[in-house]
Amino acid sequence: MAKISELLPRSAIVLNLQSKEKLEVINELVRPLLATGAITDESEFVSAIFRRENMESTGIGLGLAIPHARTKAVASIVLAFGRSDSGVDFSSLDGKPSHLIFLIAAPEEQKTEYIMTLARLSKLLRKDEVRIGLNKAGSPDDIVRVIMQHES
Amino acid sequence: MERILLYVEDTPGMPAAVAWSLKLAKGMSCRVIALAVIDPAAPRRREAPASDVEERAWGLLYEIEDDAFQQNVRISLLLEPGEPLPRLISLSSSYDAELIVASADCRLTISELVRQSSRPVVFVK
Repeated sequence: MAKISELLPRSAIVLNLQSKEKLEVINELVRPLLATGAITDESEFVSAIFRRENMESTGIGLGLAIPHARTKAVASIVLAFGRSDSGVDFSSLDGKPSHLIFLIAAPEEQKTEYIMTLARLSKLLRKDEVRIGLNKAGSPDDIVRVIMQHES
Repeated sequence: MERILLYVEDTPGMPAAVAWSLKLAKGMSCRVIALAVIDPAAPRRREAPASDVEERAWGLLYEIEDDAFQQNVRISLLLEPGEPLPRLISLSSSYDAELIVASADCRLTISELVRQSSRPVVFVK
């Protein structure tokens, strides 16, 4: 099972998200993933993410959101990360905006790996020191370093 | 009814409670709030450190979320630290849940939950 740091290409790390609205943020995070080849059908993948967003609140509190989808439009599990200074409304139960946003794309048939990746990422992000590190990081390398330091 | 609070634990009876909650939520077009509570003071087996317990709890929550999505049921996930019974009672009130659902084999003291909750509680076997 790949580590979170191994699933997050540096090219898919956006330190200063420009978008303020949830669906625009998702598009902003999907864009760099297209170049990795992990997403084979952009419109299908974005539709799958939007369908999830309409059914679920992927904001998990503490300023975090993990939009995600498991679909045939994905060839291999991959993550993107975005940081928003102003925050984005991901309908979190605590009512607060999300500043650290991880997007997860997974192939339809990899349900177990998908669930485990979500679980491991959620656990990781609840650590105060990880969120502080991600907020302070000045480069994509720093982001990956923070994750590597704290994932088991 | 708008919100069902599903109390999530890793017990053999949990899948039945999940299935019942999702079916009810779908029928009534309401949202499920799936809640797992991790008690930092609970004694742990040597092979299951706290971080593994948390990861397992998130895994259960995301499994339920995936099932809900397949069935077109709206869902929110919540993982909270604390003593399970008081947290469940308190959160059912904060999130204005109209019904609490738990598995009949949950580790809560059922009589205490029924006594303390101001919401109806359904235990699913």
